[in-house]
Amino acid sequence: MARVSVKTFSVIRDAIGAGVIEIDVENPETVGGLFDAMVQKYGKPFKEKIWDPDTGEISPFLIRLNDEIIRSTVDLDKKISDGDKISLIIPVGGG
Amino acid sequence: MAFKYGGYMGQMLRINLTDKGISKEPLREDWARDFVGGAGLAARIIYEEVKPKIDPLGPENKIVIMTAPLNGTMIPAASRTALCAKSPYTGSFFHSIFGGFLGPEIKFAGYDGVIIEGSADTPVYIWIDDGSVQIRDASHLWGKEPFEAQDILREEIGDEEIHIATIGQAGEEKAPYAMILCDIRAAGRGGMGAVMGSKNLKAIAVRGTGGVTVPNILKVYNTAQRLNQLISTNPAVKGLSEYGTPRMVNALNEGGILPTRNWQTEVFVGMKEITGEVMKEKVVKGHRACFGCSINCTKYSVVSSGPYKSVINGADFETIYGFGSICEIDNIEAMCKADELCDYYGIDIISTSLTISWAMECYEAGIFTKKDTEGIELKFGNTDAMLLMIEKIGKQEGLGALLAKGTREASRIVGKDSIRFAVQNKGMEFPGHSCRPFPAAAVGYATGPRGASHHDIRPTPEKIGLVDRLTLEGKGALAAEINHWLILCDSMALCHLAEPIWGPMKISDSVVEALNVVTGQELGYEEVRKIAERQWNMIRCFSAREGFTRDDDQLPHRFTEEPIPEGPMKGSVISKETLERLKDDYYAYRGWDIKTGNPTEEKLIELGLDFAVKDVC
Repeated sequence: MARVSVKTFSVIRDAIGAGVIEIDVENPETVGGLFDAMVQKYGKPFKEKIWDPDTGEISPFLIRLNDEIIRSTVDLDKKISDGDKISLIIPVGGG
Repeated sequence: MAFKYGGYMGQMLRINLTDKGISKEPLREDWARDFVGGAGLAARIIYEEVKPKIDPLGPENKIVIMTAPLNGTMIPAASRTALCAKSPYTGSFFHSIFGGFLGPEIKFAGYDGVIIEGSADTPVYIWIDDGSVQIRDASHLWGKEPFEAQDILREEIGDEEIHIATIGQAGEEKAPYAMILCDIRAAGRGGMGAVMGSKNLKAIAVRGTGGVTVPNILKVYNTAQRLNQLISTNPAVKGLSEYGTPRMVNALNEGGILPTRNWQTEVFVGMKEITGEVMKEKVVKGHRACFGCSINCTKYSVVSSGPYKSVINGADFETIYGFGSICEIDNIEAMCKADELCDYYGIDIISTSLTISWAMECYEAGIFTKKDTEGIELKFGNTDAMLLMIEKIGKQEGLGALLAKGTREASRIVGKDSIRFAVQNKGMEFPGHSCRPFPAAAVGYATGPRGASHHDIRPTPEKIGLVDRLTLEGKGALAAEINHWLILCDSMALCHLAEPIWGPMKISDSVVEALNVVTGQELGYEEVRKIAERQWNMIRCFSAREGFTRDDDQLPHRFTEEPIPEGPMKGSVISKETLERLKDDYYAYRGWDIKTGNPTEEKLIELGLDFAVKDVC
């Protein structure tokens, strides 16, 4: 089991009620496993911010895993470890 | 339906301020078909009517305010209107796109667009009241700030519901990056306010009581419903209603792409004080939407007391970027004050803030002294100095007179290698969207005809991971297809904030559907894409005719020579060699001449732009 810290912003922060959370991830200890754990814990309000209801696929966004930038679209199998710090850099358009 | 295609009024209004001539003329059906409306159609008109190499601030320049077939219909996020002219800031064709209500109102008054030519001897304003059009004396408005001028006009005309475009003091004095306030939104970039000021035109007020006809209202209704559903559920659009565009401040900083300290770095330690969340908690009092839009991105914000007391429609992300991280200011209330001052004087927020940060860097480098700044300690992080400089730019007094010229011209005048600090392309300063880690965005910025605009290129596909950001392969093609969805939206009135619905990699099927359902055409995807390609080439032809070439497609020194020094994007840079390779790729994909960077005869003929061959090939 990996206990990781997850930082969120904006509407995702609103959905889960905190800017930084600690969460246990197991089976698998991957980025995809983290999202499964978060959906289980925070339910639909979180899920609908991450998955596109139109396509049923995870939205494209960047994830900061410690000091590395990875992608939701191709890196769900990326291994995570106890003590990792993860930030969800949600879709950022506009301006 | 009088006009061949739905959504159009079939009529243009032409106003000559020199001889006070006012005429109404039919909209050309072939131009509507080939260029749609908005920026694309305005580019065709301006290419035809504005002769090469004219002074942008002379009477030969023309302002074309061009609506689009979707303006005034129930299609969501379709309020945008194009205010176009030859830019005094860049020397290129410029489409300054604004939201709000003015575009739909022009259509309700019975016009697809307004062409303003010549120059008045004394200050005037234009009053369009359905079929009645008058050029009226504006001497009592001259010198008034934009919102005060709008209030006076509403009272004088006796109609609270009119919609108005107004310039401020900077526009009256033809400051190169003066903007135009269009109700609560702005045609901010490219010095369109200076062009209005050069014509002694203080304001344009419009009242329309008509409607827009579409071929099948039920079909339009169904499309509008579907698009509204997409907009309301898309994860990337959610959050704009709640936080506006500043929602992305902290995410950008976390990703190491929040431009800071005149782009010396892209991580801001004071970020947590200037986020969308802080703005919502401290100053936002309400939300405002443009015509028929379900996003509600504009915030109504109030600082009720203290030195930064202010009331604004904002702040948008570009304000937070420009007057926040770029100047290293970590005070959201000061940002509101800066926003209010820019509106008061009528100056573009991005160019103003980037020019101030350029001056801050010059000051810290010893290029400017206290003698130059009249005693102001013009250092990064000095909030009061930043606000004072906005006022000086607005009044064009002291150092402000130099800074009002923008970073490129100010660097040329100051010398001392200060061009190293000028973060601009073709004279226009960069918006707050990083490109050092994103090659497609980099080449898009470099090749943009109007300089550094995040509305000619978007880093989104690379930024959110839709493509591998590190590879150079295919980035010329990606940049070109992003150009296409953006220019098509700018010609259809569609707001770029609904980017996931209209793009973000290429023109989406939803855009094709919206165009067909409103105009009654049955265009296929490739036909629509070709329209966008024609529009982009038309704009490039204007630049080529003015003398722009591949050599003008550049990035600032900071992006080609200085890697991001810290954070998760540390080391990212677009070297000059990389940029040249990307440009080759971009021109080749477009079928342009790699040597000149301009369209070839073959390409122009293919797109039906034969008339431009003699000018640019």
